[in-house]
Amino acid sequence: MLYIRTPLLLIFLTLLFACTGDSEPIRQPSEPTNPADARVAELYNRSCRSCHAQGAGRAPRTGDSNAWAPRLQKGPTVLLAHTIDGFNGMPPMGMCFDCNEDDFTALISYMSGG
Amino acid sequence: MPNRRQLLKFFAALSVANLGRGLVSQPAAARVIPWKNWSGSQSCIPSARLAPASLAELQQLVAESVGPIRPVGAGHSFSPLVPTDGKIISLARLSGLVSHDPDGLRATFQAGTQMSAMGDPLHDVGQALINMPDIDEQVIAGAIATGTHGTGANIGGLPSFVTGLEIVNADGELIQCDADNNPEIFEAARLSLGALGIVTKVQMQNTQPYRSRRESWILDWEDTLAQADQLADKHRNFEFYYIPFSERCFLSTHDITEEDKFSTPVSDGNESVQDLKMIRDYLSWSDTLRGLPIKAIAATMDKEVVVEASWLNYASERNVRFNEMEYHLPREQGLAALREVRQVLEQDHKAVFFPLEVRYVKSDDVWLSPFYQRDSMSIAVHRFYSEDYRPFFNAVEPIFRKYGGRPHWGKVNSVTGAEFAQMYPRWQEFVEIRQQLDPNAKFLNPYLTSLFGTSA
Repeated sequence: MLYIRTPLLLIFLTLLFACTGDSEPIRQPSEPTNPADARVAELYNRSCRSCHAQGAGRAPRTGDSNAWAPRLQKGPTVLLAHTIDGFNGMPPMGMCFDCNEDDFTALISYMSGG
Repeated sequence: MPNRRQLLKFFAALSVANLGRGLVSQPAAARVIPWKNWSGSQSCIPSARLAPASLAELQQLVAESVGPIRPVGAGHSFSPLVPTDGKIISLARLSGLVSHDPDGLRATFQAGTQMSAMGDPLHDVGQALINMPDIDEQVIAGAIATGTHGTGANIGGLPSFVTGLEIVNADGELIQCDADNNPEIFEAARLSLGALGIVTKVQMQNTQPYRSRRESWILDWEDTLAQADQLADKHRNFEFYYIPFSERCFLSTHDITEEDKFSTPVSDGNESVQDLKMIRDYLSWSDTLRGLPIKAIAATMDKEVVVEASWLNYASERNVRFNEMEYHLPREQGLAALREVRQVLEQDHKAVFFPLEVRYVKSDDVWLSPFYQRDSMSIAVHRFYSEDYRPFFNAVEPIFRKYGGRPHWGKVNSVTGAEFAQMYPRWQEFVEIRQQLDPNAKFLNPYLTSLFGTSA
């Protein structure tokens, strides 16, 4: 069994690693203008921007509707819960320790282009 | 065969096609929002989460509060320094460079400044931090309060570079301290766990801007251990990681250079960790097979070289969240401890895929510094944030303790106040100064109360 499983797994892993390279250049949307609301703008710039402006750690880029679409499809309740509790690379509260629920909702709306 | 990006596009298209409702147009009902640290392993429901906009607002807030009050930085600590049912205060709105001394190469920052935001303004005034940690998301006050460090056998931890502090005490009054003014408070406050008051400004001893040449390469385990001490002495900064089940280490050195900036292709640390997780997921049933793809990939890796401004060359983004235990051992004991930690990991905790991290730090004279009067080797172990870290950490902590290790203040450990008192010769002096500055224990949470023996 081992003799069969071993080469299969190696082939599988080889394919997986081979798939990690990007074959097409990524078209990056430009970052939108700052939020009109001064508080949202201040919170965005000190808590969200460092990751979401450049898409660090697979974070959906601000204004990139394609990247946000699958997240938004989960619904606002789930998205808000992921923001507050953390999800995958997203740390709890997005590092905004003084944000309230309305702040998070406004920030998600701004970043997703809503 | 479709590649990863094409698959993602396919699923994204499916998702877009199913979009029917508005974008966050109906927010969920109001809820109690807990505070959690970066990994999610520490949490609490504070009575308030506040971010004062000015020093005066902070002073008034502290003066009018009964307590407990806990300052929070970037939430990168895994020990229970923050959790409280009282108030959590973030200094995120109090950030930036305040002043600088061009002759003495010193600069003062507001306490809420992220370390990643210090390099640029320092460069503009002709200065650079002497050393930096490998994560720069922390705010400077939190970094020094927990004894954060980089690597370098002849370079101390961050608190050893602190030359002055401004603190809001329990009455909301400002205390200025340095080697000449309130020197005992200064010695205690260089590493204080946020237990003396709220640090609002930090003055650092810096150096002239410099460019560093970072070289990284793969080496066998035994060869690495044979060369480690020599490499630590030869290079300004040296660290290495052991990749479990691979017999391979990833080594990295930094040296000051006058070369022009350039970079060879470099590996992405976050992608590499995700790959190690995937290998664990599929091949954990065979130690030998698990090591094969790692060795195969390692064999294809060329030496990586990056020449860059120092402050852009130390830290890397850590987007794969984890919990961490790190102990600082007498340098001469470190490699023996490392061998035992590896053995425990590979025999009994095969689910661990994060590399073991090894760094060197010079001794200092900061009262509660884990490097107090002791050249040290730091060994860190990690577990993926959603996996139970306790069995592995509980298994390796006795090894660290056996070799005389002192834990990183911001990382998982089970050391008690009485045991800390044995580790730190100046412990009692710190406790007495803490009691003088905060007699009503306004700045203590349950964890700190357990350490300092004061009822909140």
